[in-house]
Amino acid sequence: MFSKNSKEKGIESVLFFISTLTVLILFLICIFLFRDSLLLFKETSLLDFLTGKFWYPTSVNKQFGLLPLLLGSLLVTAGSILFSVPLGIASAIYISELAHPKVADFLKPFIEILAGIPSVVFGFFGLVVLVPFMQKTLNLPTGQTALTGSIMLGIMALPTIITISEDAISSVPSTLRQGSLALGATQWQTIYKVIIPASLSGISAAVMLGIGRAIGETMTLMMVTGNAAIIPSFPGGFFGPVRTMTATIALEMGEVPQGSAHFHALFAVGSVLFIITFIINLIADSIKKKYRFKVG
Amino acid sequence: MTKGVQNVSQVQIKVDNLNLWYGEKQALKNISMQIPKNSVTALIGPSGCGKSTFLRCLNRMNDLVKNCRIEGKISIEEKDIYGPDVDVVDLRKKVGMVFQKPNPFPMSIFDNVAYGPRIHGADRKDLDSIVEQALRSAAIWEETSDRLKSPALSLSGGQQQRLCIARTLAVKPRTILFDEPTSALDPISTARIEDLIMDLKKDYTIVIVTHNMQQAARISDYTGFFLMGKLIEFGQTRQIFQNPQEQSTEDYITGRFG
Repeated sequence: MFSKNSKEKGIESVLFFISTLTVLILFLICIFLFRDSLLLFKETSLLDFLTGKFWYPTSVNKQFGLLPLLLGSLLVTAGSILFSVPLGIASAIYISELAHPKVADFLKPFIEILAGIPSVVFGFFGLVVLVPFMQKTLNLPTGQTALTGSIMLGIMALPTIITISEDAISSVPSTLRQGSLALGATQWQTIYKVIIPASLSGISAAVMLGIGRAIGETMTLMMVTGNAAIIPSFPGGFFGPVRTMTATIALEMGEVPQGSAHFHALFAVGSVLFIITFIINLIADSIKKKYRFKVG
Repeated sequence: MTKGVQNVSQVQIKVDNLNLWYGEKQALKNISMQIPKNSVTALIGPSGCGKSTFLRCLNRMNDLVKNCRIEGKISIEEKDIYGPDVDVVDLRKKVGMVFQKPNPFPMSIFDNVAYGPRIHGADRKDLDSIVEQALRSAAIWEETSDRLKSPALSLSGGQQQRLCIARTLAVKPRTILFDEPTSALDPISTARIEDLIMDLKKDYTIVIVTHNMQQAARISDYTGFFLMGKLIEFGQTRQIFQNPQEQSTEDYITGRFG
């Protein structure tokens, strides 16, 4: 008995070590990311970095202004949310409330497959199909625009939004549904007056995670948004090229001399990205905790 | 054959040869009965006997169940509720239902009661008085009048159930179906709901499914005993409890099975 007990203890400590490893890795990433970022501020002030309007990392007069990249990311993300949230919520409502179970069982795997497509494939599709289409139909000098990126990102964020919203909607107790119908409400009244308000926090969590997914996306955007580091106007900026924070890091990291100011600037961009996604995930998580339904 | 109750002044619900199947399984067999107006009718019987299924036929909640097939005829106020021209929404407005577990919507007390009137297009300026009246009729106005804006889920279980009754009353039904409304409540809350039900029969026809035979004896005027999908006996409550005609009714009431 004694030896068996120590074996249990052994397994427990191995598993403990492995699971803390994940946390450790996260910490190390943070440390390296922030350490290298901080070195930038020997050359540029934090204020200049955050409010600078020009990203000229390689010209003689170097400027590391975050704004064009930050606004590029935000514009593309905002566009993708405008596109994917209504579509995602509508799909989730259809699948969980209206579709015949057989239809829902047929649709769900396809949505999951959509989530599994590599982003470079999305980018390739965007580049070959959507970019020429946008150029022709909107009569633009180039089809590589923020809007193109938004549409692609929207498609990519859809599975996250659909799956999590659907989960939230299905977790609304059926007694509420029956209560509403028994009062003479139609199915649609029941959906938008009872089911959606009851699952709103879950749906918001889905939207936040969708935003998190969109803001961190790199490859697809690099391929379809044209990568011009200029501050986009609003809303006209949708029809011109933009450069996102993620694309900047991916494009320039290969060329940059290690340890240079440019190198540290890219790390600083990465830190900003990290902080944004961290906050978004935190919000999504706290909303999600709240929506666990209390009944009776 | 139609069981029980003779010399009824007015019939609210008339059921003729009702049969119901869930897929292949027959859950209700040849049910015929006449439920009198402005009375409390209790449906009793062991679990799985079909009493709740029967209740859900009366406001067509069984429509939501897939593979559910119904034969026979149910008339409420002399209108065939399974007829081709029937609007289910309209039917459920006239035949309200209170469920086993209190199921208030996750919104304020006021909005819960106003939900029905709102979807049926009540005038906004009338809402306050409709809500107050419904809460008064459900004997919960005193406890809630000073906090109508607080969430319904902050009420106790018994209060939630009375709120659900108020919510049903606000739609102004003429028949109210209760599906074991007190099975999730403590004795004091149960007593309050029972008083309320007896009070409501002045204005409404009430059908209540209950597991609790004392409850049926206490509050109902008529009682129907269900067993294995059949209506075994139906008549005045006093007669059913004191002088049952069927052996199985007597066995159930005296606690020999169930």
